[in-house]
Amino acid sequence: MSLLSAFPRTQIPDEAEKLRPQVKAFLEKSISHMRPQDRAKTWTGFDAEFSRALASHGWVGLTIPEGYGGGGRDAFARFVLVEELLAAGAPIAAHWIADRQSGPLLLRYGTEEQRQFYLPPICRGESFFCIGMSEPNSGSDLASVRTRAIRDGHSWRLTGSKIWTTYAHQSDYMIALVRTSGEPKDRQKGLSQFIIDLSLPGITIRPIRLGTLDSDFSELHFEDVRLPDNALVGTDGEGWTQVNAELAFERSGPERFYSALVLLDMWAERMRAEPCPQDREILGRLIARLASLRAMSIALTGRLAAGESPVIEAALVKDLGTSFEQDIPEIVAASVGAVPDRDADPDMLATLAYLLQLNHVFSLRGGTREILRGMIARGLGLR
Amino acid sequence: MSDMDDILLDPFKRLLAHICTPSVIRDEEGRSGLAQCWGELEQSGFIDALLPESRGGAGLSLSEVFPLVVACGEAALPAPFAETMVARALLDKRGAELPTGAAIVLAPPSPVVPLAAKASHALVTANGRLSLIAMNAGASDPFRAGGYADQLKGETLLEVAAGGIDLQAWAAALAAAQMSGMMMRILDMSLRYANEREQFDRPLSKFQAIQHQLAVGAEYAVSAHTAAAIAMSGQHFDPLRAAAAKVCAGEAASKLCAIAHAVHGAIGVTEEYDLQIYTRRLKQWALAFGNERYWADVLGSARLGTEAGTSADFVRLHLGNME
Repeated sequence: MSLLSAFPRTQIPDEAEKLRPQVKAFLEKSISHMRPQDRAKTWTGFDAEFSRALASHGWVGLTIPEGYGGGGRDAFARFVLVEELLAAGAPIAAHWIADRQSGPLLLRYGTEEQRQFYLPPICRGESFFCIGMSEPNSGSDLASVRTRAIRDGHSWRLTGSKIWTTYAHQSDYMIALVRTSGEPKDRQKGLSQFIIDLSLPGITIRPIRLGTLDSDFSELHFEDVRLPDNALVGTDGEGWTQVNAELAFERSGPERFYSALVLLDMWAERMRAEPCPQDREILGRLIARLASLRAMSIALTGRLAAGESPVIEAALVKDLGTSFEQDIPEIVAASVGAVPDRDADPDMLATLAYLLQLNHVFSLRGGTREILRGMIARGLGLR
Repeated sequence: MSDMDDILLDPFKRLLAHICTPSVIRDEEGRSGLAQCWGELEQSGFIDALLPESRGGAGLSLSEVFPLVVACGEAALPAPFAETMVARALLDKRGAELPTGAAIVLAPPSPVVPLAAKASHALVTANGRLSLIAMNAGASDPFRAGGYADQLKGETLLEVAAGGIDLQAWAAALAAAQMSGMMMRILDMSLRYANEREQFDRPLSKFQAIQHQLAVGAEYAVSAHTAAAIAMSGQHFDPLRAAAAKVCAGEAASKLCAIAHAVHGAIGVTEEYDLQIYTRRLKQWALAFGNERYWADVLGSARLGTEAGTSADFVRLHLGNME
């Protein structure tokens, strides 16, 4: 990997920028009533009604071809849309996974029948997806998954468990990585992807309650679940390759650095009311980092739009980006805590408290920091 | 990278490889005055890349010459090529006659002016005017890297209206771009060393602690390079874009120097080994023309002065132009 050419200078095209004022106007109407601490949830805030309202504007499945009910736009247009949604703190979790990953995956690896069946409802905001990766004994070591699908005539029988699946309990479908041949010791070989209708018999879903009392994740058990032949996505045994093709999409986007932006802007507002030179300097450092991250993410958006799969570069953006969004609550906490006799705005305090309780997760979801750094090191030629 | 970059950059890098070897750099460190290679650099044609074609230049934009500036840093070129290129374009635009044979540094207020010992002239600001001075020799080069910590003095040759030009921002942007090149070189050297050096019967690169440090080093280097590209975009240098670049470069510099020297161990600081050539310069540049604290305050103040919109809007509107 040549680092200097890995992030080419890239400008969002004017055509894509035209979408921005429309999205801003929509958000002004639809979420200005939301409390900041709820807006701080951004892509983990689940609101099916909001997702359907977005879909009615054609903004779910923006990059899916029009023939399947999508917007037929490019990755830059989606960057503009997503940037505005995240910066405003819109609750986009319901359609997020289908929009970012499952739709594009089905478009790339799905059969024509699968595309016709699944993509139009995704684009209408009527069909929500989750991704089944982690298992109770397979976290960072994803290739060790044990959930197994066994061919049985013209169907498959699925047995096993998935855990830490974001919003499985509110989703319609899961795209899962499971073993179809061999043993866990065969690692990346013998894995396949399935699309699982979560209403099928034999599936139990238990939301996992967090210390914050939110339930973003669930645990799922599959007991001899009968899947139709056409539940297989792509090629039997090619699951690992297919999953890896998604990673550049999953790791390079602005959701990897905007998770605490709502709080950053509240903090800036507080500073306007009562200036603090030390904080002002720290704010400037964050703005500089954000400028660089945004340019890097747009560079990868361009490479994705060109059909490339910059997986290692995406890992680099995610590690830098999640460090940035993890730092924001810590910095704001340091600022608030340093002036004990000043009343903090209750909304800001609630937003800060929410993010402080979960910012450690930012570098876990979507591939841990340690796994990413290992990937980057290999990409740099360290062996 | 575009083809344009390659057509321009490849011959420039070949020139640098020819005229700027580590032994040349060491030789130049021992004395002040123009670098031996200055004549070749000046005659190469690259020096007027920013001048309009009608004035004998190549009519290139800041973004197009950015890779050249990065390459100067990567080579630790002991000559103010980038600064002279920019100063010549500026003076020409103001209708001033370009001095021949002049190696020009940009010298806004700064505790140290890198490359000043390798320059004949300096562009300074006073009373809203830009002055070109023929520099007297300085005495203090605390980083032993061809920079002067003395106040630059000399005869004023010409003066032009500053016309809104913030020399500090210009100098900081060029510093950030050259720093990003130095950081790429430092990272490359560290990666190579980690693959070659063995301890406990295996290469350092097998140790996860080393792998992760170098991965972080690469992140900082890329972040600094991207921010420097932001500063070298648009029609002219801009204080906010320069600020973002110098903040990212400064933060990255201290992290990457620490990582590179940790990976190398003691050999890294020895005179005979090349790493110190780059890290000494990098620390000197980080100190010059406003460090990350100075520029972060500029950025923070600008953000606070912009009430409308989110920080994402601020970044897009003020730091989002990459053309």
